[in-house]
Amino acid sequence: MSANPATYASVLSPDFVRAATRARLRKGRVTTAVVSLCTAIVLLGLLAIPLFLLIGLHPGVPLPAQTWQRFEILLAGTLRAGTCAMLVALPLGIATAMFSAHFCAPRLRAWLKPALEILEAIPTVVLGLIAAVTIAPWLKIHVATVLALIVVVPCVLLAAGMAFGKRVRREGWLPLWLLPSVLAAIAVVVVIGARHSGVMIAPASPWNAALVGLALGMAAVPLVFSVSEDALFLVPRAHTDAAFALGATRWQALTTVLLPAAGSGLVAAALLGFSRCLGETMIVLMASGNTPIAGFDPLAGLRSISADLALGMPEAEPASGAYRSLLLAALLLLVLTLCVSALADAVRERLRRRLHAAAYAA
Amino acid sequence: MIQARFGAAGTWLIAGITAACLGAILCLFGLLAAAGLAPFWPSAISELQLHDGRSLLGEIVREDSASAIDPALAIRTSESAHMGSAYQRIRLDQIAARTQPADAILIALTDGRRLFARGDAAQETSLLAEAAAPASVLEVLRPNALGFGQRCAVFVQHLVRFLATAPAASNLVGGVLPALLGTLTLVLLMSLIVMPFGVATAIYLHRRRGFGVRFVRTAINQLAGVPSIVYGVLGLGLFVHGLGAGIDRLFYSERLPVPTFGSGGLLWAALTLALLTLPVVVVSVEEGLARIPASLREGSLALGATHDETLWRLLLPAARPALLTGLILAVARAAGAVAPLMLVGVVKLAPTLPIDGAFPYLHPSRQFMHLGFSIYDAALASPDTIRGVPRAYACAGLLVGVVLLLNLSAILLRNRLRERYRALET
Repeated sequence: MSANPATYASVLSPDFVRAATRARLRKGRVTTAVVSLCTAIVLLGLLAIPLFLLIGLHPGVPLPAQTWQRFEILLAGTLRAGTCAMLVALPLGIATAMFSAHFCAPRLRAWLKPALEILEAIPTVVLGLIAAVTIAPWLKIHVATVLALIVVVPCVLLAAGMAFGKRVRREGWLPLWLLPSVLAAIAVVVVIGARHSGVMIAPASPWNAALVGLALGMAAVPLVFSVSEDALFLVPRAHTDAAFALGATRWQALTTVLLPAAGSGLVAAALLGFSRCLGETMIVLMASGNTPIAGFDPLAGLRSISADLALGMPEAEPASGAYRSLLLAALLLLVLTLCVSALADAVRERLRRRLHAAAYAA
Repeated sequence: MIQARFGAAGTWLIAGITAACLGAILCLFGLLAAAGLAPFWPSAISELQLHDGRSLLGEIVREDSASAIDPALAIRTSESAHMGSAYQRIRLDQIAARTQPADAILIALTDGRRLFARGDAAQETSLLAEAAAPASVLEVLRPNALGFGQRCAVFVQHLVRFLATAPAASNLVGGVLPALLGTLTLVLLMSLIVMPFGVATAIYLHRRRGFGVRFVRTAINQLAGVPSIVYGVLGLGLFVHGLGAGIDRLFYSERLPVPTFGSGGLLWAALTLALLTLPVVVVSVEEGLARIPASLREGSLALGATHDETLWRLLLPAARPALLTGLILAVARAAGAVAPLMLVGVVKLAPTLPIDGAFPYLHPSRQFMHLGFSIYDAALASPDTIRGVPRAYACAGLLVGVVLLLNLSAILLRNRLRERYRALET
């Protein structure tokens, strides 16, 4: 097969090569333009959130009477729900992170992390359903049992550790050995509680802040866990090795080296978890009873900003006073969560910089 | 060594808490699986003989014999009038005898009522004739006479009917097909919106350096933490009342004041969710692009390819698993988000499907049903909680199943991605 000399020559001619290259580069410019345009639209969409909510500040329509008192109650309810949730999520999340980062056998850790990731993937409406329908009637008559659980189970664990701890060599698999006995201890306390169900502490309503805290806390455990685990894992290996070389036990290395080094990471985890709890809607909507009650009683119902938005927004007429007050409530929620999470980011950034400096110095 | 003892005690404490977390996760999934599947199992029909001479035939729907104060049970007898009309609460000390007669018949009607009777085939036909007056018969069962295998067959049949039929009786009985279709259509539309924008933003962040990039990245990181309900407020205020009302004034003014796009609908919900899931996609794709070894890109440029050609022919194909992971994580997040949807167009019962055989097949302005909202609605807002709660659990089981399936595939893809880059680096 012979090539057509004319075509052959024109393909190789400098003009053709130049034109083809120019076309190729032009196509690249189109892509760049499209990419920039899309990014600009995305940025516009993201910035639309705070800008749109600022409309609520525009004093066009009078707000309904007692809006600010209402905000106070909603804010108190939101903070109460978040605090109760953190009381559950912090001990569970941070203790699990400490174990996973420092004691855990690598093969167990490879299972533990996905297990908690999967817990994070469960839609919150499902957790809200379980809390509102299954746990609420039980919790109403068993508040004393829960308090007993909080005291008894850690005491039993501490005592068992004191007694048998030194004989156990392979601490890395301890949770799996302890799982049946912990479940058994919980079951025993629950059964005893059911026998003596003379109601000792009676909550005002089955849907209360403690119930919200329980469900919301479970939802926040994965986040607290993953952030604090990352922080603990980021501490250079040389630090703990030095502690071991000086004769520290694993526990001593944890408390004297790891925790001080990663402390701000744990604070960041707590703040991020708190920020997430403040904005969570479905669990609070389903399990809190949605009664606007002020105060700090963990056994009373509450109404949070997010639940108020979910209930009030579909009914509100646009451009009415009620609508404007809801926009203001959303702005309040946005500012609150952004402040808390920005604080968490700042703390985390500081930790990262310090640990990097330490790693280079080592 | 007293210190070592304290150390061991501390270790045991945190190990025990870890065990408690694992136990809680196991219990959660056990509960969801059990309570989610239980509504489909053919329950037995009981006959209660009371001390006052009455006898009741029906299903025992709730029994709290554990409560020491007032042990009682709730029984559902024949609902001859309307659904939810025949619950009775019986104290346990009222009951003389409890049996499960083998000749008991259950007749389920299409309007949700359940009738119970005893008798042979002849009585069954006469019963059917009189019972079915306003509604038609859905199924006739003799659950007490069924063997285990037959019960399993009935279970599968119920499960299939749940997935493949429309609901009846204000969403308390029947299937969840519209809610499932609504969820899937919504998520599909959301992916079509979020993927191009998310990938473009990730490419921008990957290519450029400087102030703009830092600004975009900070905005995306910060807005990933914005509560989902705030996105709902934005969707309602800006998309529905702003864009939607504008479109109505321009194109559908003959139909006003009946809104077309000016009320919550599929399109606005998909846009809201797209904004909500954008950070997930951007972070995942950018990470995927960053993982591609620089030598590949440099090799491509050295052989004379432009940046554009390198992007389309090399970087994006190599980052395909990361794109898929981002998509799946976004879809999983969107499938579980309910709160924003409550503001932008989800309804308890939609008269029409968002997707059907009539042109243009996909109807972005229609209101739709959603699995997550069905859970909320059946559990807390239904007139008949004894039917509503098992239904909510069935929906929850289905939703968690879908979300877990998506997440597991994301994890598997991520592992494949790692394998791939290990192959590239050697």
